[in-house]
Amino acid sequence: MIVDMLRVTLNKVLNGAKLCPKHIYIATRAQSGEVKKPEKVEVFIDDKPVHVEPGTTILQAAAMVGIEIPRFCYHERLAVAGNCRMCLVEVEKSPKPVAACAMPVMKGWRIKTDSELTRRAREGIMEFLLVNHPLDCPICDQGGECDLQDQSMAFGSDRSRFTDIDFSGKRAVEDKDIGPLIKTIMTRCIHCTRCIRFASEVAGVDDLGTTGRGNDMQVGTYIEKMFLSELSGNVIDLCPVGALTSKPYSFTARPWEIRKVDSIDVLDAIGSNIIVSTRTGEVMRIMPRVNEEINEEWLSDKSRFSYDGLKRQRLVTPMLRDCNGELKPVDWEAALLTVAKVVKNAGPAIGAIAGGLADAEVLVAVKDLLNKLGSEALCTEHTFPLDGSGTDLRSSYLLNNKIAGAEEADVVLLVGTNPRFEAPLLNSRLRKAWIHNELEVASIGPKIDLRYEYQHLGNDPALLQQILCGQHEFSKKLISAKKPLIIVGSETLERSDGAGVLGTVQALAATCTGANKDWKVLNILHKVASQVAALDIGYIPGVDKIRDNSNLKVLLLIGADECSIEKSDLPADCFIIYQGHHGDYGASIADAILPGAAYTEKQATYVNTEGRAQETLVAVTPPGRAREDWKIIRALSEIVEAKLPYDNLNEIHVRIKELQDFYMTDAISRASPTMAKCVQAVLKQKQSKY
Amino acid sequence: MASSQSVKRVVKEVKPILSLDREEARQRVLNLYKAWHRQLSYIVKQYDIPKNQEQCRQKLREQFTKYDEIKDIRLIDMLVIKGQMELKEVVNMWKQKGHIMTYFKDTVEPKPQDFLSKFLSGKD
Repeated sequence: MIVDMLRVTLNKVLNGAKLCPKHIYIATRAQSGEVKKPEKVEVFIDDKPVHVEPGTTILQAAAMVGIEIPRFCYHERLAVAGNCRMCLVEVEKSPKPVAACAMPVMKGWRIKTDSELTRRAREGIMEFLLVNHPLDCPICDQGGECDLQDQSMAFGSDRSRFTDIDFSGKRAVEDKDIGPLIKTIMTRCIHCTRCIRFASEVAGVDDLGTTGRGNDMQVGTYIEKMFLSELSGNVIDLCPVGALTSKPYSFTARPWEIRKVDSIDVLDAIGSNIIVSTRTGEVMRIMPRVNEEINEEWLSDKSRFSYDGLKRQRLVTPMLRDCNGELKPVDWEAALLTVAKVVKNAGPAIGAIAGGLADAEVLVAVKDLLNKLGSEALCTEHTFPLDGSGTDLRSSYLLNNKIAGAEEADVVLLVGTNPRFEAPLLNSRLRKAWIHNELEVASIGPKIDLRYEYQHLGNDPALLQQILCGQHEFSKKLISAKKPLIIVGSETLERSDGAGVLGTVQALAATCTGANKDWKVLNILHKVASQVAALDIGYIPGVDKIRDNSNLKVLLLIGADECSIEKSDLPADCFIIYQGHHGDYGASIADAILPGAAYTEKQATYVNTEGRAQETLVAVTPPGRAREDWKIIRALSEIVEAKLPYDNLNEIHVRIKELQDFYMTDAISRASPTMAKCVQAVLKQKQSKY
Repeated sequence: MASSQSVKRVVKEVKPILSLDREEARQRVLNLYKAWHRQLSYIVKQYDIPKNQEQCRQKLREQFTKYDEIKDIRLIDMLVIKGQMELKEVVNMWKQKGHIMTYFKDTVEPKPQDFLSKFLSGKD
């Protein structure tokens, strides 16, 4: 076909036809298209024919016809190691069995995944592995979800030939101390090296490695040190045996007595998908759930290990501050009546501040309640510049190009953000692109360690202006890039010159559009889970409106614990109501406390930084007298005689949908490229002094 | 024609439990009611319940009128059989005081109905 195409053009040229650029274009495109799609190879897996791309491994080809070959060291998201030998299969006319995970298929190969030879090979490997593996499954934390256990049942020998006639014992390895999160029992290690590969490839912390050879081989950190990575917990999931287990979870529960609930993580703005494991009304552990578009199958350590905080410092009963200034527990009736009285007396002089963990339902309920009372003072704790198009356009405060999109980028400019800690899973995507895609990263902001190389341009926001004007050497790279990304940290935008930074960045995004029209250059990375939902619903970012209001009578804090407002900022007679789940800063300044539910205890909607709405599910019941958050507002509304028109989740969801439709009228623009508002922002920027 | 025949066949196939027609079923219910009614004074005395005969009579009537809606003869028969079994248990003193008192449901709290009472009781 290429030949045909070329011949046509060539003939035309030879015949004296004008060679217009279009033809060349077509010809070249056809060529490159052909290069990308070479002929498929036919192989037979257990006599089932399958056509695969050349270079596909036997294991992948087998997966395509639904045959799973047992493996320990192979993992889709890690480099191939080929050292466990569990995936040996017979290939016809090959003298020895071959390792399926590492062997690319050849044309016409007949692979037998269940032949006598294959089965004997597996049994032999299993026997070798078990010779040096302790038989401590009954006291092993991996017991019940252990690959070695399962595969030895499925493919192992039915009897042991291990007779320790010399009583020399099995091989034993000293345990390593690699930090407070991961417990190591290195005797159980089968040397699959998944953890080593994860550390060096995904986490970028090349601390783990092997020492010794053969029987003396050990996995460890060479010198005793902590495995200091924000993604370290993932090696627990990766470990096919019980060598690496979770320290906080150790000896607390067994997989078969656990109830698993799908949920969403809210400790950063990424919204990782998680599985909450519970037993006896307690969260036992949190594990990642696969979602290719968000967290792949990883989870950051903060999200994975902070669940024990859900059992401590909890607000379990409503409280009111008495005449001595002490918070005293009361029942719901008394609390609601007192609060309602104050709210009623205040009338429209009421304000609300939403914290970082508030869900969309409670945000809507509070907004509806305050609007009914005649107040518009609804703020979020984390601020965002309101200049230019502000938060009217949804795309001006979203990670527009999505998390998965970061993988395709070729030039990334980080502005005042440390994705390693603000969004570890976005950082792992960037690192992936840096490894596989030759991504170039540059950063404006403090010098940080991202675990991949980047160009540190400086710590001055004025650099942005220079890049915009083309005075900086980096601007050439940015403009010539096919898929440039600018990721702005929300913390930068909270600074006093945040509006200026945002304006410049928007202008910059308008100048470098990249090759693809659907590619969105400007991306805002939020730090907290509630922010996008709050802005969607129409909250005003920042607490200035509350601070400036001198006759505020009642302030409702919805989980606002970041010290964004202090008692001295408020009028002396202002009554503070705190609604949330933890006794933190907000509760300490409050006059009344209404205990709410944490994210594992309620069915609630959160919108992540890319604007994706996801729902948490109830894993455990709220402790004590705590209630689901929106219900508290709904009950309060009934007592203050401004009853909200929803009694259950479905009804409030209908209400959220209404609101969204309303707020998304501008966000026809959501689909429209970032350009429209960039232009708007540039106009604003020209008047700005920055 | 064909349909009415099939209906007839269905009716034929249903086996009566006790009564062949409504009148007979009604008579059985009345007999059961009378039997219970006669027993009431003994119940109050023997079981030593904190209710008088009048209250028991009301409860008895309530228990019967609860099933006013039921027209199916087989169902009525079945309920009558169950009522006879209950009565036998009462007469033979197979029941105890508590069993009698459960008819009155004095200690059962009604489930919260509206949003606010559901919220305050913490039940959904």
